[in-house]
Amino acid sequence: MSVNEILDLLKGILHTTGVFNFELNVIIMWAIGALFMYLAIAKKYEPLLLLPIGFGIFAVNFPLVPLMGYTESGHPQLLEVFYHYGLQWEVIPCVIFLGLGAMTDFGPLIANPKTLIVGAGAQLGVFVTFTGTVLAGFTLKEAASVSIIGGADGPTTIYLTQKLAPQLLGANALAAYSYMAMVPLIQPIIMKLMTTDSERQIKMKQLRAVSRQEKILFPLVTCGIIALLVPAVIPLMGMFMLGNLMKESGVVARLTDTAQNSLMNIMTIFLGVTVGATMSADSFLSWKPLFIFGLGLIDFAVCTVGGILTVKIMNLFLKDKINPLVGSAGVSAVPMAARVSQMEGMKYNKTNHLLMHAVGPNLAGVIGSAAAAGMFIAMFD
Amino acid sequence: MKKYFIVLLFILLPTVSFADDFLGAPIAPDAQTVNKSEKQFTYTTSMSHDEVLSFYKEKMATFENIKYRDWEEETYIEDDGSMGWHSIIISKEPGEQGTQVVMSKDSWSWIMGTLILRYIAVFVVLMVVFLGMKISGAIISSYVKSAEAKKA
Repeated sequence: MSVNEILDLLKGILHTTGVFNFELNVIIMWAIGALFMYLAIAKKYEPLLLLPIGFGIFAVNFPLVPLMGYTESGHPQLLEVFYHYGLQWEVIPCVIFLGLGAMTDFGPLIANPKTLIVGAGAQLGVFVTFTGTVLAGFTLKEAASVSIIGGADGPTTIYLTQKLAPQLLGANALAAYSYMAMVPLIQPIIMKLMTTDSERQIKMKQLRAVSRQEKILFPLVTCGIIALLVPAVIPLMGMFMLGNLMKESGVVARLTDTAQNSLMNIMTIFLGVTVGATMSADSFLSWKPLFIFGLGLIDFAVCTVGGILTVKIMNLFLKDKINPLVGSAGVSAVPMAARVSQMEGMKYNKTNHLLMHAVGPNLAGVIGSAAAAGMFIAMFD
Repeated sequence: MKKYFIVLLFILLPTVSFADDFLGAPIAPDAQTVNKSEKQFTYTTSMSHDEVLSFYKEKMATFENIKYRDWEEETYIEDDGSMGWHSIIISKEPGEQGTQVVMSKDSWSWIMGTLILRYIAVFVVLMVVFLGMKISGAIISSYVKSAEAKKA
């Protein structure tokens, strides 16, 4: 074998490595991936999602890695399979909703159903942001998918984005989960600005006990109403209510346990890594994702304002006043937003426990954001 | 001379393009103008409804975000992308002048109107859930009470 032949052989080997196919823009994506992994590990911000998302971004942005795409013979690569069956087929968000339903106690919402209205009011940002996004040059479908971020509901955001603007999936999912993680940083400022000292001191009546029968009937009634009024989101809400029915019926403990734990964990891994994998440098490094992040913050803030304003308006007509600090929980970051209401309430009155009162609007926010998503899907069907 | 030619071209270009389209939406070849304004363009054509629909489907095959809705009395074509026009309505019942086609400019009033209505609709959905909960709660409470009374 001549020296030239050996050199050609070496050259051939080297060209199959990523080193010779390296592009500088991937470094920015590694940094973004590393940032999310740092936030998850060091700051513990939504670690269950930000960790796999961060790793997905990091791994997929190496040259020649056979993760997202198709082989020469047309076979889908590993993360492409997860993406195709999990997100394109809209399986993962729905199965996650099954797990969420199995983990949710609707008791506080059933005991105080008027807090459902707060969940609707907190969708204000979704509709306001839509206008801003259209003004910025997004298409109507893209605008709808971006604006749902303010509802702070990850699976709903992913479900709607996949339906209307799949090209924005990575940016939208990342913005939704980032803002969910930042609820304790963003909401308290708005809560303070929007409420007076006397309003923050309002003590709410203890919630009544809710019977088992009521808890069993709730998912059926809600599922029926949503199916009639907003059929477009029944894959999400139906699974949510099925999970809840399994839990409340008490007769399928094994299934409930699987939905709450194993299934939920498996789906979370697939969701995180797949969402991260959609963010290749080519598709992510443009003005749109940056704009989505900026607008998402405004969206989330307006949704918080909407929830608080709704409570204030309701208080004009109610005999038993609602503490407006629970209004911010109308965004569906469960249970983080409810915890923030509790913490803020305690700041002003150590004996004022708002957690259970805030869970009602929080759960109403899940239904509200799903209803808003359904409205958008119906708009483009 | 070249400068004047370019200026002339800029003046004439919109007129020429307007003859074939309305804000980027194609117009049927034998269109007879009924009404023309900045916001709306109405024309009639001797083509049947199905022919007009085929014409639009063929001409807009490459357009993204176009939605076709088959309504009882008309076919509604809507642009959900970023075109200058918003909708094209093709009537199914031909009049004396032929099939009527109404083309509308993209308008903020439509966007704002639909957003406000949909926001209100979210309230309506949750209000209905609220009512459903109230009614089912009342039924269950009375059932539980009567069961307890029977036991006692």
